[in-house]
Amino acid sequence: MPEFNAKTLKEADALCERYAEKLHALLPLLHLVQRENGGWLPPGWDAYIAEYCETTLNHVRGVITFYNMYHTEPVGKYHLMVCTCVPCGLCGGDGVLEHLEQRLGLRPGQTSPDGLFSLEEVQCLAACDKAPLVQVNEEVYERVGPDQLDKLIDDARKKSA
Amino acid sequence: MAEEKLLLLKNIRKSGYKGTLADYRKTGGFTALDKALKQMKPEAVQAVVKDSGLRGRGGAGFPTGVKWGFMPKDTGKPSYLVCNADEAEPGTFKDHLLINEDVHMFLEGMIVSCYAVDCHHGYIYIRGESMKSAKHLQQAIDELYKEGLLGKNILGTGYDLDMTVHRGAGAYICGEETALLESLEGKRGQPRVKPPFPAVAGYNGCPTSVNNVETLATVPWIVNEGAEAYKALGTPNNAGTHLVSISGHVKQPGVYEVELGVSLRSLIYDYAGGIRGDKQLKAVVPGGASSPVLTADEIDVPYDFDSLVKAGTMMGSAAPMVYDEDTDIVELAYRTTRFFNHESCGQCTPCREGNFWLKNLIRDFLDDAGDESKMSRVKRVAGGMIGTTLCPFGDAAGMPTVAFVQKFPEEFRKHFP
Repeated sequence: MPEFNAKTLKEADALCERYAEKLHALLPLLHLVQRENGGWLPPGWDAYIAEYCETTLNHVRGVITFYNMYHTEPVGKYHLMVCTCVPCGLCGGDGVLEHLEQRLGLRPGQTSPDGLFSLEEVQCLAACDKAPLVQVNEEVYERVGPDQLDKLIDDARKKSA
Repeated sequence: MAEEKLLLLKNIRKSGYKGTLADYRKTGGFTALDKALKQMKPEAVQAVVKDSGLRGRGGAGFPTGVKWGFMPKDTGKPSYLVCNADEAEPGTFKDHLLINEDVHMFLEGMIVSCYAVDCHHGYIYIRGESMKSAKHLQQAIDELYKEGLLGKNILGTGYDLDMTVHRGAGAYICGEETALLESLEGKRGQPRVKPPFPAVAGYNGCPTSVNNVETLATVPWIVNEGAEAYKALGTPNNAGTHLVSISGHVKQPGVYEVELGVSLRSLIYDYAGGIRGDKQLKAVVPGGASSPVLTADEIDVPYDFDSLVKAGTMMGSAAPMVYDEDTDIVELAYRTTRFFNHESCGQCTPCREGNFWLKNLIRDFLDDAGDESKMSRVKRVAGGMIGTTLCPFGDAAGMPTVAFVQKFPEEFRKHFP
């Protein structure tokens, strides 16, 4: 079973202190594990976190599968989230998704074999006035078009070459 | 462009304003906190907010002061104030503007409001995707701790307050206040059976008030200027200004601060500059994805809580999504039901199953396989979700779907084989 190192354990303990009970820190704890593991939850962490929070494995798995942002499969170094909800979907979001599918050769939910990109179709990203939107890791790209996306992909490939 | 009435965006609209602590202090920031903590009892802060007529800006429009008043005192348990910064309703992006560009005004409102409800640990529940906003918020909070505006003995008054930012993890339902509290307790975001309401048993079983970002950000203005000054704005029973998020096919989408009661037509044509490419307007979804659609002929309605209810829709979180003549209403309806199907928490059968079938039924129309019986089935399934679920999600998904079919039947008939 994996476990926190001294530094992350300290961070986790500090998180728990912000809440009335240790279990209440479950969401931030899972975010912490993802941050330390390239954006996903490798096997075994659910059991470790259950033990750490003094709860059941079932509870932790229930939470992990309920929320969209916890990944139990590896995601790319660049995780691309494309909004196709309203209004993005009616302001060009579909075209954005199609373009990315073609350029990356990926369907939503897939990760490229080199581990560089993963693609996800998401619901509202809360900046609808700047539709269509793509979020790449923490960064939100506004009013995106094909050129901007191509540049983003090329830059990412160059950086990791 | 028509002129805004600036209470909440008065700083943001000034050129050169960056929203730093120094910037905010220069505009008279934290005077409301000083006044509240040094000259007013918590009950007095509650009273001024109640008298102002401020109604919650998260969508339900419940009077804020009344909500605070429901929290029992002397229970021997701590009281909590939780800010709902989940802002996940499609079309809505006003709270993020306040957090990103005038964070200290919002935090001042949060601190004063915590004081009003005798809370010593406030939580800000922010949507998981907004990592940058959450970091920005955390930095601002760290700064306030250093400045003695959070932590022990704030401004030397003996009042202690801690504040914690809690990031969600991608679930629209966590904008519903009891689902939010479940999520804050490390559980799946599934709404609770009410009663008890959060005011009695909220976070950790303690008296809790859940309030929207914009609501809390308004509190400093009310404390400074008084209840009467606030009530003088807007229309009777709909006091004040509201941040309106306008998106879709308009020339200038964005957030506009207006007095409640301005006409929806004016919002679209005077504030947002009219329809892109000078096309004709086809439809407006006036208050986020869960509000029933209005046709182009129905936009001469005052934009406030009560007038929009009279018009058969709702103001919700004040987010008109504007669609031009080229829009396929069936496509719009499909995106909307697909969203609700994706976001249903799965707890209540009418919502879980209903949204699934609605999505599939409307998908049939997009494949040009619609017919009259499917149109009535959409209305029947959607109607069956209204009022039959634990939380308002069933209504939020059912009402707009019924309205799409009722108001735009010809659009659906275009998709018959």
